[in-house]
Amino acid sequence: MDDLNVKNQPALKQFVPTPPRPPRKSERGILGTIRHRCFNSIGNSLLTLCVATVLFYLVKHVLDWAVFNAVFIADNRRQCMDISPDGACWAGVISWFNGLIYGRFPVDEQWRVNIGVLLGLVWLLPLMSKRIALRNFILLSWIGLYPFVGAYLFLGGRFGEELGLVHGAMTCLALAFLTIIYANWILSVLGKKGLNELFVPLVSRLVERRIHLLSFVAVWLLVALVIALGLSQVSLEPVPIERWGGLFLTFIIAGFAITMAIPVGVILALGRRSKLPVIHWLSMTVIELVRSVPLITVLFMAVTLLPIFLPADMEFNKLTQVLVAVCLFAGAYMAENIRGGLQAIPKGQYEAAATLGLGYLHTMVLIILPQALRMMIPNIMTSFISLLKDTTLVSIIGLFDIMLMARNIANDKDWVGMHTEPLVMISVLFFILCYSMSQYSLNLEKRLKVDR
Amino acid sequence: MIQSSTSKPQKRPTKGAGLPSSTTQKWLSLLNNDSSRAVILQAIVLMLVLFGLWFLFANASENLNRLGMTFGFDFLQVTAGFNISWSLIPYDPGMTYWRVFLVGIVNTLILSFCVIVVGTLIGTAVGILRLSDNPLVSQLARWYVEVVRNVPLLIQIIFWFTVVFSTLPAPRQSYHLGEWLFLNNRGLYVMTMESTLSWGWIVALGVALITALYALFRWSKPYYTLSGSRSTGFYIGLVAWALVACWAIWTFLNSTSLSAPTLQGFNFSGGAFLPASFGAAFVAMTVYRSAAIAETVRAGMQSIDRGQHEAAFTIGFSRVQSLRLILIPQAIRSIIPPMTNSWLAATKDSSLAVAIGFPELVSVFMQTSMNQTGRAIEIIFMVMGFYIFISLLISYLLNKYNDSVQYKVR
Repeated sequence: MDDLNVKNQPALKQFVPTPPRPPRKSERGILGTIRHRCFNSIGNSLLTLCVATVLFYLVKHVLDWAVFNAVFIADNRRQCMDISPDGACWAGVISWFNGLIYGRFPVDEQWRVNIGVLLGLVWLLPLMSKRIALRNFILLSWIGLYPFVGAYLFLGGRFGEELGLVHGAMTCLALAFLTIIYANWILSVLGKKGLNELFVPLVSRLVERRIHLLSFVAVWLLVALVIALGLSQVSLEPVPIERWGGLFLTFIIAGFAITMAIPVGVILALGRRSKLPVIHWLSMTVIELVRSVPLITVLFMAVTLLPIFLPADMEFNKLTQVLVAVCLFAGAYMAENIRGGLQAIPKGQYEAAATLGLGYLHTMVLIILPQALRMMIPNIMTSFISLLKDTTLVSIIGLFDIMLMARNIANDKDWVGMHTEPLVMISVLFFILCYSMSQYSLNLEKRLKVDR
Repeated sequence: MIQSSTSKPQKRPTKGAGLPSSTTQKWLSLLNNDSSRAVILQAIVLMLVLFGLWFLFANASENLNRLGMTFGFDFLQVTAGFNISWSLIPYDPGMTYWRVFLVGIVNTLILSFCVIVVGTLIGTAVGILRLSDNPLVSQLARWYVEVVRNVPLLIQIIFWFTVVFSTLPAPRQSYHLGEWLFLNNRGLYVMTMESTLSWGWIVALGVALITALYALFRWSKPYYTLSGSRSTGFYIGLVAWALVACWAIWTFLNSTSLSAPTLQGFNFSGGAFLPASFGAAFVAMTVYRSAAIAETVRAGMQSIDRGQHEAAFTIGFSRVQSLRLILIPQAIRSIIPPMTNSWLAATKDSSLAVAIGFPELVSVFMQTSMNQTGRAIEIIFMVMGFYIFISLLISYLLNKYNDSVQYKVR
């Protein structure tokens, strides 16, 4: 009944919110915040004082040990002890620094490791630029081709002798691809046509279809040929795999695991989501079995069982066995991450893809997987971090990664019994690596949220 | 490329010249039909897998023949002949490999159980401290978690072992707490009570007493809720219970004698012993696990709507009350699944104690026994089987519990 009389009533007053009360004077400023949040009650004040005291002594002791009382220049541990008995002896770590980074790689050949790692980073650099199209292909080429270049530089050997012909050819193709990427980048900055368009006029006279692809292949082969001619003049000293070690080996294992985890994980996850019972059960068995055993048992299995279960004339080195194990392990964990992403994709996406007439492969590659992977980036990064940490386990089965090198310092006759400093050193190193990775993933997560 | 289409029009035989014959088309239509294609694909995958397995087993039997080895679990009855530095169940070198397996399992379970219990307690506390209003406390908790989480567990275990536990004083200069506790670079020696009664009886009696007390309270509860005071029967029962309990404690104390660790030569005898490797593994894994659990607890607490928190304050709950009555019961629901994973990870991580020589399953069975017997396949099969069994068991039990605390949707 009131509703009927609305017109006769005076106009409703507009709601004017009361402005929020400004913080009290005692709560303003730095001092105010500290007083308000640290000393607002007796209990809290006591807690603050306790924590502050503990922190003060902790920081003081650590700084005293690591910086103020530390010895940086000494010949052996005895000298360190004489100079300062209760400080760190960084001199030992400094003298072993090369070993921690390169393992037992011959000192004269270590430039190859530097070049190889640098080349890998340079290859990924174009991903930063928005100017370049088809950046996914650059990433794919890195996964598919870079390992050949890396292996060539790290292993050494001559074409067709220590180094197989196939491997040599792939190395040249890989280097040629890298050259083309960079040439195209520079040309595009200058505003000219890409290098791969070089043969277009020539090719277009011979055939009618797929002109650009053929031109690209022709340019690629030509550049590869030039590189092959150049490389055949060079002979690199062969370095056996047993001499790889240190941080370098850690990065190789972690890098391999990280790059292989995604493809293996995608295959296993799709298999587990498959409607075909055989494929579903197979994938599920593999995933669950691998995930429920510790990594160290998988590594032991790879080292002891692979030689038994494979033909006797196949030769193995420990690194290959470890890489197989780590790859399987990383893939099974990644599969569960990706499955989480796949499950979060709304059903409408599948239906829309089906409506467009896309088959299974197209639906997955073009529609579902890009969204699922993107959604799972934080989890995938977490897996990568734990993979990097887990690579230290290979030291238990005797690969000379950074962990085993650090433990070996204590066996050096000059630095007998020096355990603390190398362990602290590699802990700090791992902390910096993992922490920056996790901060990067947080950053990425925020950026992707903004995108949506 | 074959265009996918419905199989119907292709089943009709076509007789035009130049087109593929009807038999070829029949096969093509089989390939284009969804259900037949599924069968073909699965058959191919199954055949590949079976072929792979056959290949592996053929190689294995050939390799075993060449090395003169056989497959079988008969080695479990053979005397092991090596010593194990610490074992909870009785063990001596004259026992079999099967006993070694059991010793490894028990040691692994003990280690992971201790880590799970203490790690969960510390982790929950750190996770709650992390949400404290006091910036000093929350930042301290945050950096504890960050530092511990971002350093590999193996480094931490070796750090605690070589830097902390191995640099403790020798047995003669041990740190001690009266005659009760001795801590030195070999480990921890604790005074124990030795009873002439069997331990089974003592535990049974304790359990019976606690159950009786619980039953008494349970029985008197309806009267208490109705009247607000306890019944006379309750007091009579309580006195009777106290008498029985006094008698039990008196008998227990009469039958026990203390066994204190005493220094004999270079080592202690008597009392209970925990090796330094156990201490190092336990401390490192507990710290590591607590950081992981702190993160799950924090995420769980933050997943609760802020309004719940504010509502609890509005009706005058203290911080502890709002945590206990409002926040934790709701957070439990989202905390349990990641907590399950964390506990499973703790069980698996216990295998890392092999690096410092703690005699757990991987160390005694996968390393020592495998080196002595060479039975790689059987041993790896057994060890992995154990871990898989434990994983399945824990996740089954916690799924059950999880189902019981989730919101009931009707």
